[in-house]
Amino acid sequence: HNTEDTSNLLQHVKFQSSNFENILTWDSRLESSPDTVYSVQYKTYGEGEWLAKEGCQRITRKSCNLTMETGNLTEFYYAQVTAIDREGQSATKMTDRFNSLQHTIIKPPDVTCIPKVRSIQMIVHPTYTPIHAKNGHRLTLEDIFQDLFYRLELHINHTYQMHLGGKQREFEFFGLTPDTEFLGTIMILVPTWSKESAPYKCRVKTLPDRTWT
Amino acid sequence: DAVAVLPAPQNLSVQSTNMKHVLTWSPVVVPEEIIHYSVEYQGEYESLYMSHIWIPSSWCSPTAGPECDITDDITATVPYNLRVRAVLGSQTSAWSTLKQPFNQNSTILTPPGMEVTQDGFHLVIKLEDLGPQFEYFVAYWRKESGAEEHVKMVMNGGVPVHLETMEPGSAYCVKAQTFVKAIGRHSAFSQAECVKVQGETLPL
Amino acid sequence: QFGPCRVEGVVLQKLWEAFRAVKDIVQAQDNITGVRLLRKEVLQNVSEAESCYLIHALLKFYLDTVFRNYRRKAAEFRILRSLSTLANNFIVIVSKLQLSQENKMFSTWESARKRFLLFQRAFKQLDREAAVTKAFGEVDILLTWMEKFQQL
Repeated sequence: HNTEDTSNLLQHVKFQSSNFENILTWDSRLESSPDTVYSVQYKTYGEGEWLAKEGCQRITRKSCNLTMETGNLTEFYYAQVTAIDREGQSATKMTDRFNSLQHTIIKPPDVTCIPKVRSIQMIVHPTYTPIHAKNGHRLTLEDIFQDLFYRLELHINHTYQMHLGGKQREFEFFGLTPDTEFLGTIMILVPTWSKESAPYKCRVKTLPDRTWT
Repeated sequence: DAVAVLPAPQNLSVQSTNMKHVLTWSPVVVPEEIIHYSVEYQGEYESLYMSHIWIPSSWCSPTAGPECDITDDITATVPYNLRVRAVLGSQTSAWSTLKQPFNQNSTILTPPGMEVTQDGFHLVIKLEDLGPQFEYFVAYWRKESGAEEHVKMVMNGGVPVHLETMEPGSAYCVKAQTFVKAIGRHSAFSQAECVKVQGETLPL
Repeated sequence: QFGPCRVEGVVLQKLWEAFRAVKDIVQAQDNITGVRLLRKEVLQNVSEAESCYLIHALLKFYLDTVFRNYRRKAAEFRILRSLSTLANNFIVIVSKLQLSQENKMFSTWESARKRFLLFQRAFKQLDREAAVTKAFGEVDILLTWMEKFQQL
């Protein structure tokens, strides 16, 4: 897709998206090209016009935040970068077709692990995205993905695991040995999109049992 | 015509258990020669819309043995035509085609293997890992009259998983079955296995 | 379950896997970025009752026209396997949707048909090969839409 074969100036133009934060990135094969400037345009698939991204015109850095411009979950987008070096050589390259629902990666959840004597409670905090609903409030991952659920594993002395899972946010592993260390891992899963976050990990120790002391 | 001298493979058949599908045939024997084979498949779409189109099997075009794991080629619950030919250098035999098309919904589903153990008061089960297409339903109950049966879905096998925290001095029994969404079928339940807290596994 | 129609034996993730494996190759051949065949007017605000008829019409079109005419390119780009997975699973859906067509409610069917004709007209306005390539590249739009109805 590049109008001029000067791939030294510009390569790997692509979207990197996590939790619906959509960043356009690129790089150049020329190690030192401080004077090369880059300009970014984007368009909605199915529409004619390329639009210039304000704030990413004639920049020297190699990334541009297009979150707001590519935030409609039912739309597909393209972005393109034009690089111009000191001698006036230029190259333009386009991304693959992008849709944040398909491409975004889910980050690990934010969790509070609370040890008790014979149990460990885990509270998953909502993950807010940059996407806004019509009424202006920010959407969480749960708002966006109908079938999102949490999967919790408690690893017990490296031999077996306790599993809990569900859409709720509060979980508790019961029947544990007091004064013992456990490793908990908590993931977000979205089956329909085959998305699975990296695990949030917490290492906690149950409290000593002082009832008989 | 030299090309047809090489005999075509015979006795094609498919053995399918737990969604693993293996096509087998009788080997073609040519003294002092090593024969290879090529396997191709055709789904219902290809046979309906483009019957001249055959797709080379993922793992067996070519292959040395008289069998081929076609599991990765069968990706829909429709009838598949399968064919094999022998290859010797530049010589190829005629194609032999499986008499009856194969459909994955005919696979044999066996009860899953399972290990029931305990750690203190924890009842732990480890299920045989049969692959990503399988879900497991585990039923467990306290071994006493009128005890209620609990059911838990275990997403994947191969990992020991805590089922229940047992009451001291009691015994619990466990059985499991598999479910395959792609064909909408269950296996039979496994034999129940029982464990007594602080005791060893009791045969039924 | 697609709207009121029941369809078993199709795991949409398998279709997604097949399409994801070829998405960038296929979409890179579609240079007409200013035209989208499966536009909002075709797919948005489809009633549950309409969804059966629309899915049936679209999948039949993909089987009869898109996949059939894309085969040569699929062989050229060595993506016959993915095309086969998509096509054979579309056959499963279409054959199962067929059973529930007897109680056709004319008004719903008519409304779904209008949506399908919007899509078909846009398809016919393009050069044949470009249209087939574009339609194949929009399978992710189709799967996204089917996903929504499969959860009802």
